[in-house]
Amino acid sequence: MKAVLKMKKIVYLLLFLTQLVWAQNVFETGNEHYRKGNYEEAIKSYESILKGKKESCDLYYNLANAHYKLDQVAPAIYYYEKALLISPNDKDIKNNLKFAKAKTIDEIKETPKVGFEKLIQSFTGLMHYNIWSYLSIGFSFVFLFFFIGYYYSQSSLYKRIFFVGMFVIPFLLFFSLFSAWFEKEQDESVRPAVVFADVIAVKNEPRENATDAFELHEGTKVFVLETVENWKKIQLTDETEGWISSDAIKELK
Amino acid sequence: MKMKKYFFLLLLTVQGVIAQVQFDAKVSKTTLGINERLRIDFVMNVDGDNFIPPSFDGFRIVGGPSQQVSQSWVNGKSSFNKIYSYFLLPTQRGNLTIKQAALEYQGQIYKTTPININVTTAVEQPRDPNDTSVSVDEALHLVADVSNNSPYINQPITVVYKLYFSYNIGISNWRELDKPKYNNFWSQNIDIKKLVAEEGTFKGEKYRYVTLRKVVLYPQKSGALEIEPLSLDIDVELPTNRRDLFGRVLMTRDNKRVSAGSRSIQVKLLPENGKPTDFSGAVGKFDFQVIPSRTTLKYGESTEINVSVSGNGNLKLFNLPKPVVPSALEMYDPVHTESVTTPLTGMTGRIADKYTIIPQFKGNYTIKPLSFNYFDPSTKTYKTVTSQEIVISVLDGPTSSENAPVASENTVQKNTIAPGDQFKYIHLKTKLKPTNRKSILGSNLFYALVVGPFLLIPFIILFKKKKEAIDGDTVGLKLKLNTRLAKKYLSEAKKQLGNKEPFYVALEKALHNFLKAKLKIETSEMSKEKIKEILIGKNAQTDTIAHFIELTENCEQARYAPSSSVAMQHDYDKAVLVITELEKQIG
Repeated sequence: MKAVLKMKKIVYLLLFLTQLVWAQNVFETGNEHYRKGNYEEAIKSYESILKGKKESCDLYYNLANAHYKLDQVAPAIYYYEKALLISPNDKDIKNNLKFAKAKTIDEIKETPKVGFEKLIQSFTGLMHYNIWSYLSIGFSFVFLFFFIGYYYSQSSLYKRIFFVGMFVIPFLLFFSLFSAWFEKEQDESVRPAVVFADVIAVKNEPRENATDAFELHEGTKVFVLETVENWKKIQLTDETEGWISSDAIKELK
Repeated sequence: MKMKKYFFLLLLTVQGVIAQVQFDAKVSKTTLGINERLRIDFVMNVDGDNFIPPSFDGFRIVGGPSQQVSQSWVNGKSSFNKIYSYFLLPTQRGNLTIKQAALEYQGQIYKTTPININVTTAVEQPRDPNDTSVSVDEALHLVADVSNNSPYINQPITVVYKLYFSYNIGISNWRELDKPKYNNFWSQNIDIKKLVAEEGTFKGEKYRYVTLRKVVLYPQKSGALEIEPLSLDIDVELPTNRRDLFGRVLMTRDNKRVSAGSRSIQVKLLPENGKPTDFSGAVGKFDFQVIPSRTTLKYGESTEINVSVSGNGNLKLFNLPKPVVPSALEMYDPVHTESVTTPLTGMTGRIADKYTIIPQFKGNYTIKPLSFNYFDPSTKTYKTVTSQEIVISVLDGPTSSENAPVASENTVQKNTIAPGDQFKYIHLKTKLKPTNRKSILGSNLFYALVVGPFLLIPFIILFKKKKEAIDGDTVGLKLKLNTRLAKKYLSEAKKQLGNKEPFYVALEKALHNFLKAKLKIETSEMSKEKIKEILIGKNAQTDTIAHFIELTENCEQARYAPSSSVAMQHDYDKAVLVITELEKQIG
């Protein structure tokens, strides 16, 4: 029985590995298509990786670039934003996103967020919450190490160093824990989306015959606040709000 | 006598016949239209006096009274007639009564019987073909010709005002009394520079006419719309029946007001079926074009996009679609030009919006195709014309580096692309991961890993304590072993009492092991001074210490010097005594 289980595990592992290798190959064929200028073929390759439930920020980035080259602004921005979700500080992605945004029609100002929360967020946003989590685990172990060091070392100098460390580490631990929670909270509460419809009227109320509040064009990034049937309440970066048909936008998460 | 009597009788009858007075009122007709005239004759056969006509209520006397007397002799018989005639025009409709007229004759008053007259509505009066005089009413007609009585909204209709006048009248002057207002219409008056009389037929008769006014109307509302009438005051010259000395017809001047009756127009809504959502309101037949002046330009140069619609229709009444450009292109408000003429068929020509576009950044930008839709009333369908997609490529210009940052300073957050920026190439390497990775945060493993090290701390403390306890036990064990060894070697020494060398070796070992056990020192550390010092430190008595030292010295010396068995016994006893005493004193 145990042997069978073990076999199964090995088979799964092999499958996983072959899949990974396959996905890597497809990624490279996609890159090759891109290099030759066959952007549509490149998109197909990249998307087949996505269908195989694999992702990476580079994959999204390349996919976005291919869409950009084909002048498909909305998918390009969508995949750039997806890539940025995975690695928020990638300079290439940010750079190319600027190019894609220059092609959009709507020009929406970003109202800078102010206040304490923003201050915290600007710091916690440096890393993904998973990294913060690993960091807190790390700090926890460092604390253990310091304790052992303190407890066993004979020299009083080492003992002092470890003792001070034992007081500093918990602060770092709690901070990283807080950051992880805060980031996760932020991550879950913020639902960015990208407008895919060419032109869409944003309504005042979630009704077809409601009065139009304003118009959006493809590629504009919005934030989903609420959902009522097939209507979504959205907020723009300049904090104007309205209701939009669910079909017109695509959420990033 | 008898003859005489008959003659008298005859005379009497003649007398009687002659004396019979007749007085009657005779009317030409008892039923007449209100526009007709009535002639009434009061006829009497005697020459009466004091004729009193009735009051003619409901009539107006247009002629009369005229008197007519006639007397004739026929076969010696004379007859006399006297007639008073009146021409009456009824002033009102209905049953009217002409009351009695009265006459006095030989002191007697005679009266006529009242006559009932039924006045009906106006009746068509047959024209007298011999009457050359012309009535103004029949010689002048103002007509509004409407081209279409049920147009669609924004479909042009024309209203032409024509003044028909017959050949034999002259028009000397005309004034517009009331300019019609075209509410709910967009109207365009077509100026008529010179009035030209033309020939035409009106109601089957030959007339001359002038076109006074032409208006093109675009209804702006559905439903029944009223076109107000146009009223004119016209001076006319009418021929009369009279002629002058030379036989020419004399003309009279008259003044006449004519008015083209108000017309109602039923305006249809554009059909909802197939109506585009972004319908511009254009109705007609159009051609739509979007033409950029240039598509390849350097930074800082401008291009123009010309959005134009040409054709027939309500050109001035709709707005042209506006191109949507990417935010990287700056588009300025358009210059609107119209070259539209309005003939009777409706507006025709071309309207255009010219947009100036100045690119902000280098790159290729797509301007989405524009679509323009209109309603074609001839086919009753909506039509859409879509323009071509325009790609504007902005090449890098030499001045771009200076201007780009300046433009971006004004806005807070603009997707500025610095001149040095380039569109980055794809990433060639990647680490693919499964998409639906679970986050470690919040999982049990996470909690275990964070809290675990803290939970380990008590175990570490416990572990150290235990180890120390075990370490402590080994000391005890060692001591125990040493005492045991001491005792063992002592007993061995007792066995070897006769043999000098083994005896003293065993005794020395016994002493050493005793010291090891009691003083916790190793053999290497043993020197007499140290032993002494330690023992003093442990409150042993000096003579016991001296005995112990002496004993160890004896052991060393006895190994190399001869000694007796008595001395051996003595040394053994002494060792036992010292050990027991030291044991007591050190505890």
